[in-house]
Amino acid sequence: MLDALRYEWTRLNTLRSTYWLIGIGLLCAAALPTIFGLADGGETPLAPEDIAVGINGGASFGIPFLAVFMAIIGIFATGHEYRHGTIQPTLTAVPQRNRLILAKILVASAVTAVVTVVSMAINAGIMLAFWGEVPGLFEDPVGSSLLGYLVYTEIYMLVGMGLGLLFRGVPSAIVVIFLMPLIIENVIAGLSVIPALDWLVPAIKFLPFTAGMMLMSIGGLEMGPGAPEYDFFGRWGSGAVFATFAALIFAAAWTLFKKRDA
Amino acid sequence: MITAKGLYKRYKKTVAVDHLSFDVRPGVVTGFLGPNGAGKSTTMRLMLDLDNGEGETLFDGRRFDSIRRPMNEVGALLEAKPFHPTRSARNHLRMLAAGNRIPDSRVDEVMEFVGLAEVKRKRPKGYSLGMAQRLGLAQALLGDPKILLLDEPANGLDPHGIHWMRDILKRLASEGRTIFVSSHLLSEMQLMADELVVIGRGKMIFNGDVDQFVRDFTQANVIVRGPRIGDLTAALEAAGAEIAKGDDGELVVSGLEIGEVGHVAFTEGVELHELSTRRASLEEAFMSATGASEQFVAQEIQAAVEQPGGAQHA
Repeated sequence: MLDALRYEWTRLNTLRSTYWLIGIGLLCAAALPTIFGLADGGETPLAPEDIAVGINGGASFGIPFLAVFMAIIGIFATGHEYRHGTIQPTLTAVPQRNRLILAKILVASAVTAVVTVVSMAINAGIMLAFWGEVPGLFEDPVGSSLLGYLVYTEIYMLVGMGLGLLFRGVPSAIVVIFLMPLIIENVIAGLSVIPALDWLVPAIKFLPFTAGMMLMSIGGLEMGPGAPEYDFFGRWGSGAVFATFAALIFAAAWTLFKKRDA
Repeated sequence: MITAKGLYKRYKKTVAVDHLSFDVRPGVVTGFLGPNGAGKSTTMRLMLDLDNGEGETLFDGRRFDSIRRPMNEVGALLEAKPFHPTRSARNHLRMLAAGNRIPDSRVDEVMEFVGLAEVKRKRPKGYSLGMAQRLGLAQALLGDPKILLLDEPANGLDPHGIHWMRDILKRLASEGRTIFVSSHLLSEMQLMADELVVIGRGKMIFNGDVDQFVRDFTQANVIVRGPRIGDLTAALEAAGAEIAKGDDGELVVSGLEIGEVGHVAFTEGVELHELSTRRASLEEAFMSATGASEQFVAQEIQAAVEQPGGAQHA
């Protein structure tokens, strides 16, 4: 297993795209507390919701920049193998397919965890510079919201990696990770507001990316004016919905990976 | 030693590899021949567990996916240019080396060996096909393996490169390594291979040494030259020979051994200036052996021109 991990780590750190995707992700995530700080000038006392949104770079606001960029790294980890035909040399170097996929998951998850923590530290530093203090950072509800953000980014990345493996390519996986949270789930949630379609309401809490947002929320999700009561699961229950979605994609992709020709 | 047993692969209705079994011995170069679409690449992919199918291939007694650090045991070159376009050639090899505990110094060594030292930090997307093949060979040699599987390694190489590749493979074989190499360059294969595995439509046609293949699939002719060879014709035909006239007026005799032809000439009192055996080339033997199993058959030029509505030259 160590050999497979070494292989995957070298694969990841010899790709230029790894660095610019992480760099852009960190910059985009840092942009929100910076804009927030410049606009406010550090005068308004920070509420827990403000701290959470600032440190997760707007992810709980509906714009999970870092998670999306890490998901693209996840997609590249599997999809690039097929796009560029490197799956052949890869499997002649590490022919044990289970070990290879496990190594990809472990390396990308570790990198995602480190990058997410670094991003939170950068954003906390920015907020500290503007406001002079970031109160309750490690206490509830901010602390568990930020832990939820870390879990959310990890699951988002794994969804990307699973889709890259399932589709054996990059473009379709990227389309799904953008289309599903930004359009499909928003449309379904929007339709559920219409009285004739209120039968959709009980299904909303099972929409994976929407449920995932609950991981970072403080005081529940704001679903827009006139939205019905969606009765979401709690932070970790909703996280489990998102994680189950990722697990289902991975289970299908992994099973097919073992059966398909390289 | 490679032992392939009952390799079988089906794509929906098409059987690509049909229960192939063969051995590839160490110390010799074994050529893998077959017409386009015969199943050579699929067979190699099956051997390396890249494709799912039936059968088993053992490399010195072990399945490929059970070898812990396979590049140290089995080197493979399958597809040209399977490289990430933005990763340097050296980093591509470093990546593969990392999974097999091969030091970076060995990466530089093989890059030097294949003649790519000067461009090792460049991205392989700018490489020519020949350079990509050299990088592929560097990849196969990375772990200094005892077994090499090479699919069309001479593709895209210039004549010097082909000569170099031939010398390398023969030298590696003389070191006791097992070399299994496919190629459509039959003249090269004749110079390089000691043994052959020949397939057609996924089925085994021949497995044995090159000379035996040529003997089995072609007829040796006896060439006869002399001032009065016309006087021999009747006697040779009476002895059971088939006779044709060569381009330079010589007799091309088939159906009799050289000694029998010489004996007829002696008994007829005919002076000879040449009496020799002409063996067929590997190419002729290949054409004879695989003619019926060719899957993709192109039309002759004349036939294509005569097709109604076909492209016509102005």
